[in-house]
Amino acid sequence: MEPRHPRRRGLVPAIFLAALLGYAAWPWLPFTRAETTPPTIVFYGFSILADVCQEAIFPAFQKLWAAERGGRVEFASSFGGSGTVTNQVIMGVPAQVALLSLESDADRLADAGVVPHDSWKRLPNAGVVNLTPFVILVRPGNPLGIRDFEDLGKPGVRIVHPDPMTSGGASWAIVAEYGSGARGAPGGEAAGEKVLAGVWRNVVAQAASARAARTQFENGFGDALVTYEQEAIYDRSRGRLAADIAYPQRTILSEHTLVVIDRNVRPAERALVARFVEFLWSDEAQRLFVQYGFRSARPELDAANPAFGTIASPFRIADFGGWQRARRDIVDGIWKDRVMKELGAR
Amino acid sequence: MSAVPAAAPPKARATVPVGIVLLVLLPLILMPLAAVFVFAFRGGAADFVKVLTSREAQFALRFSLLIAFATAAVNAVLGTYTAYVLSRYRFRGERPLGILVNLPVAIPTVVVGTSLLLLWGPIGLLGRFLEPLGIQPMFAPLGVLLAHLFVTFPYMLGAVKPVLDEIEGTYEEAAYTIGANRWQAFRWVILPALRGGLFTGALLTFAHSLGEFGATVLVSGNLRLKTQTAPLYIFAQFEAGNVAAANAVAAVLAALSFLIFFFLLRYTTRKGR
Repeated sequence: MEPRHPRRRGLVPAIFLAALLGYAAWPWLPFTRAETTPPTIVFYGFSILADVCQEAIFPAFQKLWAAERGGRVEFASSFGGSGTVTNQVIMGVPAQVALLSLESDADRLADAGVVPHDSWKRLPNAGVVNLTPFVILVRPGNPLGIRDFEDLGKPGVRIVHPDPMTSGGASWAIVAEYGSGARGAPGGEAAGEKVLAGVWRNVVAQAASARAARTQFENGFGDALVTYEQEAIYDRSRGRLAADIAYPQRTILSEHTLVVIDRNVRPAERALVARFVEFLWSDEAQRLFVQYGFRSARPELDAANPAFGTIASPFRIADFGGWQRARRDIVDGIWKDRVMKELGAR
Repeated sequence: MSAVPAAAPPKARATVPVGIVLLVLLPLILMPLAAVFVFAFRGGAADFVKVLTSREAQFALRFSLLIAFATAAVNAVLGTYTAYVLSRYRFRGERPLGILVNLPVAIPTVVVGTSLLLLWGPIGLLGRFLEPLGIQPMFAPLGVLLAHLFVTFPYMLGAVKPVLDEIEGTYEEAAYTIGANRWQAFRWVILPALRGGLFTGALLTFAHSLGEFGATVLVSGNLRLKTQTAPLYIFAQFEAGNVAAANAVAAVLAALSFLIFFFLLRYTTRKGR
C-alpha cells in the first residue's frame, strides 16, 4: 500500500460519519425544527388495523380537526397482535387510545388497573368500533375442497393459524371453530371439540398476529389460513390475494373493542382525544372502515362494500355468554386443557 | 466468481478449496443478501426511493443512526475507562469484574430487554418509584439507548483492552518521571496509541447498535415516528406484508454495514503493515 500521511488515513471514514450524523440529526437541529410540535394522539391497534388507520382514518380526522379547530394534529401509532398490544399497555407504553381485537383483552387491562372495569361499555355501541366474520383462506381453485371448519380436520391439510398467546384473532378463530361444530350438529359441545381437535391437529405454523399469519400464508406457506374476512377482502381489493375465500356456514362475527386509557391523556389533550373517539363512530369513519373491508358497527352501511360474503348463520360472542365465560369455558376449558393436551400427548 | 482463484497465484491449486468455500457461502450468506437487494429494487428505482423517503422510513433510519452514534460515544468513554481500570490496576475481584463486563455478549438480547423492563419499566424494581415522578425511561428513546449500551458494552472493551495490555509500560513510566499525572500520561501517552482500537471498537459498537433488534423490540414500545428503530420498522413492515418497504430499509442498513466493515478492514489491515 502507498504510504500516506497518518492523519489522512481516517479522513474518508470521518467525513462519511460526519455526513451520516448530519443526516440523522437534521430534523432535530434548532434551525430546521418546526416551531411548535402539534398535539399528538398515541394510538395502539391490533394488527389488521394498520392500513385503514394510516391511510384513511388518521388523515380523515386530521382534516376534520383542522376544519373544526384550525390546528394540526399528529398520530403516533403502533400495531401488533391484540395480546401483544395489551401487554405493552400493561407494561406502560404511553397509549392513549387502544383498539383491541377482543373484549377480554380490555378486561385484562382493567384487571391490571390500567382502566376502570367496563369503562369501554360507556362508549358508543358498548365500545365496539367494527366487526368482521372469521373465514378460511384456501389456495386458488380450492384444490383440497375446503368449505367449512370441519374440512380443516382432513388428513394432510396444512393450516397456518395465529397464536392465541399474542393474537386476538386466534381466540376469535378458536371460538369460531368450536361454535361451528357446537351450534350445528345436535352433538353440541362434543361436536365443537371435535372440530377444534381436527383443526389443531393440522396446524403447522403459529404466527404472532393475524397479519403475520397472513404474510406467512401469502409467502406460500400452508394450505389454509383461518383469519378475519377483512384481511381477505382488503388484500383482494389490492390484487394481492393469491387465495380463495371459503365462507363457513356458521362462524363468528368478531367485535373490536376500543379502550381509552385516561391516565395517559394529559388534561390539555382531553378534548382532542374525546373528539377522535367520537369520530370513530361517525358516518365518515364507519364508511372508511367498510371501504377497507370491515363490517360496520351500523349494519346498514355494509351495503356499500359488495365484496362482503354471506354467512348462513353467523353468531356472536354474546351467544356464549360474553368473553369472560367464553375464555374460561372454550379457550381455556376446551381448547387449552382438553384439545391441546390430547394433541400434545400423542 | 471465476476471477477469485486467479487472484491468489501463490497458492497454486486453490481452485477446489476456494470453490468449496464459495459453494458453501453462496446459499448461506451471499444469496440471502442478494435477495434483499433484488426485492428492494423489484418495483424499480422510483418505487425504492418512494418507500425510502416515506416519513416513517426516514424517521426509523435517522432514529437508529442517532441511537448508534450516542451508543458509540457513550460506550467509547465507558468502555475505554473500564479497559484502563482493568488493565492498569490490580485489585480483588478483578477477574469476576472482567467476566462481568463481557457478559452482555453471552446474554440473549431478549433477556436484556426483559431485564431492563423489569428494572426501569413502570412495574419494575426502580421504575415504580420513578413513575410517580413522571420519569419513564422505558418506551422512550432513553430506553432504547440503555438497551444498546448494555448489549454493545463489550465491543469497546474488546477492541481497547488488548492494545492497552500491549503498550510498553516504560513510556508511561517515563511520563511519570518527568512529572506527568495519571490523566496527562493517559492523554499524551496512552490515548494516541489507542486510536486504532478506539476506532475499531466505536465502529463495531455503531454497527451492532444499528442492527440491534431483540432487546429494542421489548423496550421501545415500537411507536412509529417516536421510538421505532430501523430494524423494528423492517420487522413491522415485513410482518404486515409490505415487503418492498421492509426491503428498501433493509438494503440501506445492509449497505451501511458493508461500508462500516470496509472502513474497519481498510484501517486494520493498513495498520498491520
